[in-house]
Amino acid sequence: MPTQPTNDDRIALLQGTLDLLILRTLVFGPCHGQGVARSIQRQSEEVLFVDHGSLYLALQRLEDKKWIRARWGTSDNNRRARFYELTPKGRAQLDEKTSQWNRLTEAMGRILNAAGPQNEEV
Amino acid sequence: MFRRRSEDDFAEEIRSHLEHEADDLRQEGVSPDEAPFQARRTFGNVRAAQESFYVRGRWSWLDRLLRDLRFGLRSMRQSPGFTLTAVLTLALGIGANTAVFSVMNAVLLQSLPVADPQRVVYLETSGTPNGTGTIDSTETFSYAVYTALRPPNGALSDLMAVGLLSGDKIGIRIGNIPEQAEADMVSGNFFSGLGVRILRGRGFNAQDESTGASVLVLSYDYWSSRFGRDPGVIGSTIEVKGVPFTVTGIAAQGFEGVEPTHSTDFWIPLQNRPEFNVLGNPPEKGKLYQADPTWWCLRLIGRLAPGVSRSQAIARLQPIFAHAARIGLGNPMPGERPVVLSLSDARIFTADYADMYSKPLHMLMAMVGLVLLIALTNLIMLLMARNATRQREFSLRLALGARPAELLRQLLTESVLLALLGGALAWVFAVLATRILARWALIESSLAPDRTVLLFTCGILALSALVLGIAPFRTAISGGAELALKTSAATAWTDHGKSRLSKAIVALQMALCIVLLVGAGLLTRTLLNLRNINLGMNAAGVVVFSLNPPSVPHTQPQLSRFYDALEARLRALPGVESTAVSSTRLGSFWSNNSDVMVDGKHGETPGGKTILVRMNDIGPNFFHTLQVPILLGREFDAADGASGHHVAIVSQLFADTFFPHQNPLGHQVNGFTIIGVVANHKYRSMNEDPIPMVWWDYAQGPGEGEMTVEMRVRGADPLSILPSVQKVVAQLDPNAPLIQPMLQLEQFETTISQQLLFARLAEFFGLLAVVLIATGLYGTLSYRVNRRTAEIGVRMAIGARRGQVLWMILRDSLILTAIGVVLGLPLAFLTGRALATSLYGVHPLDPLTYLLSIVGVAVVALAAGALPALRAASIDPLQALRAE
Repeated sequence: MPTQPTNDDRIALLQGTLDLLILRTLVFGPCHGQGVARSIQRQSEEVLFVDHGSLYLALQRLEDKKWIRARWGTSDNNRRARFYELTPKGRAQLDEKTSQWNRLTEAMGRILNAAGPQNEEV
Repeated sequence: MFRRRSEDDFAEEIRSHLEHEADDLRQEGVSPDEAPFQARRTFGNVRAAQESFYVRGRWSWLDRLLRDLRFGLRSMRQSPGFTLTAVLTLALGIGANTAVFSVMNAVLLQSLPVADPQRVVYLETSGTPNGTGTIDSTETFSYAVYTALRPPNGALSDLMAVGLLSGDKIGIRIGNIPEQAEADMVSGNFFSGLGVRILRGRGFNAQDESTGASVLVLSYDYWSSRFGRDPGVIGSTIEVKGVPFTVTGIAAQGFEGVEPTHSTDFWIPLQNRPEFNVLGNPPEKGKLYQADPTWWCLRLIGRLAPGVSRSQAIARLQPIFAHAARIGLGNPMPGERPVVLSLSDARIFTADYADMYSKPLHMLMAMVGLVLLIALTNLIMLLMARNATRQREFSLRLALGARPAELLRQLLTESVLLALLGGALAWVFAVLATRILARWALIESSLAPDRTVLLFTCGILALSALVLGIAPFRTAISGGAELALKTSAATAWTDHGKSRLSKAIVALQMALCIVLLVGAGLLTRTLLNLRNINLGMNAAGVVVFSLNPPSVPHTQPQLSRFYDALEARLRALPGVESTAVSSTRLGSFWSNNSDVMVDGKHGETPGGKTILVRMNDIGPNFFHTLQVPILLGREFDAADGASGHHVAIVSQLFADTFFPHQNPLGHQVNGFTIIGVVANHKYRSMNEDPIPMVWWDYAQGPGEGEMTVEMRVRGADPLSILPSVQKVVAQLDPNAPLIQPMLQLEQFETTISQQLLFARLAEFFGLLAVVLIATGLYGTLSYRVNRRTAEIGVRMAIGARRGQVLWMILRDSLILTAIGVVLGLPLAFLTGRALATSLYGVHPLDPLTYLLSIVGVAVVALAAGALPALRAASIDPLQALRAE
């Protein structure tokens, strides 16, 4: 199904970044899917838009890779929810991906923010 | 392994998400009623998420495949007629290809079933030195050559020798009753050098060879068929040519010896005693094969030493060979070329056989290729017709959002299913067919399909599946999604491109049919001609069998006494009209050839070329028994043998060649006086050209090991006399079985068995092609008539007569036939030309054959068109229009 075009300022997540955000969110302790979605949106100050379908697929993918594990429990508002938490493997991945991401954004920033295009004589 | 999470669990998680979201929204001030809806909206497409969950992580292709398979099987069950036709057509087409390829593989490609066959080679020579006798001028060697090449020489790690005990079978005795078997004598390293495993007991060793031990190894097949795989047979005794041998081993399954087309029953070590001279020949000037360097009679097989290439091996062996070849022969004659050694692949079928079968096999392969092509085009048309009726289904699926790729996948799955079913059946066909083929071709070696053949068949199957899946694809999507909305069948099915394609296919099939029919026709005429060959004698009603009585010394006059006594007793049997003996059996491909001295001079043509003459040693009444006309003089009688007056009989051709316009009686051949001239008749084979012949009285010769007895027997079944013959023989020698008893006519027919086989196969494939084409044409025409029901109804409603409608449909098929014939004839000419060497007594452009083929195709076209045409003519215009 094609995604509906959004006419607000929110940015659809880049491929692969969602995994990193999920891992990061779970650093603060176990959380259920809806909580993760809310947390990402809130922390990004509503700039990032999380497609919920993709979120749950991503959670499943991370679970399959054994980076996170899940179990059913009871939430604060006394409802059944599936809670996700980081595994040691996931924690290691988070560190690695974070440093990768930082290097990437730094490099991107250097290029994009460099002073004006330079004309080269050919 | 982790347990797969269920879809229900996932659905529950999403439900939980929506509830939490609604809770949060309510807290943020959204009205309690509105909150669940807004939660749902923010989530997006719940079903899509669930579907993605279902698809991800799963072997989705397997899942889809299973669904496609289920669907395919269902739609096959819905049209059992179509499925049966398609599967059978495929099975016949592919089965024929597998069978022929299987034979080709066995004859032209398969190596001996030995360890590391690439390192095993047959030794061959450019020829034999002058003054030597040979079994095969390029494949057999003297014992002296064998012993010279055998010691370690850095070229071969093993050199194995094989000596034939007989031209056909030999007499053995297990228990009390004599019987015949196929046996070879071999060197001590035969099994170890070839790397043939011994299943039970032991093989031979060097000592067995040097002492000529009386031990024997059975082949697995013989052990199975003769001894019912009784392990107790080891240690038991088999009398071979009257000499007791002990069974010491059984060779592994699959190894049938090294004689092409024959499977060996057992092996004994090389023997050096008169009973076991090679081919059962009498000693030449008192020498057995091991002592006679002029008797080139052993087949040699080598195993290349590790790391030595063939050319290196030849380089090392050639000097030794050239020297050994001259042992006992003195200096070469002036101008005589030195003999050159070469090495050839150790195939089951040696180069001679491969050459003999190569051309017919390639021809057959081309034929079955055409049959497959016809079968496939048939199926394509069938599928297109069927899919036209399924067009609504396809359109509906397109309308419901199926992508064309998914339709293609569905079609491919269905064609793979068909191919698998057809392929399995084809394999069964092929296994049966190769057995029948082997029997027809008189080949005892296994022709059964092996792994190479399986690979070939799988290749064809894959190709077929692909073609059959893709071909109808265009038709399937041509309707497009809109078609589902239309109601009129007639409007839906008018697609000119499609009908043009099917017309082209029919025309192509007709062309191929002409080619196959012409090929089959030419070969059938050949077959008839071969069958009607005038043998120059009355070979029906003559029973022949060979004898090699172990108790009789192979010398005169003992031999004559034995056969005189035998013939007297045989003539006393009821139904026996006359009897005779000969040293060479007629129609067995064997012959004794030599040049001769006529009246003291070399028999030469005026140009000085030596004339080759065939000979045979015979007893009295030979020509009388075979009913060969005696043109001049008389044949041998009992008095000649003892008289010491050396006599000969010559053929008419001999007389015409050496004594044109003279009376040949009284002239001399090799110092023998000609006493009779007989009409030309066949000797080696049915389709040989006549060669001058001379016959000697066997009683005046040195004596032969094996003799053939000819008996003219009255009655409808002459062979029924054999049990009484066996009893008579047993009275004279209890150890002598009847070797290869059969009718003389049958014996002659073995010489054209190859031609018979190929002609029969060609007929069969021609017929198969005709049946396939008839069904295909019938299917296409009925489909077109169905499609045009409405149109025909309209035509008839506005006054077309039934005759006109009938003609309209038939005209279609006749036009296609005409186009097919025009296309096919040039191809047929080429086929005839390619067949030329396989034909006998019929010209490759034989007009009658071509005419009959064209008539045949036309009849097929009319017959296949008749039913649909009649159906069209009987359409009720009212009903046809109402059906709209």
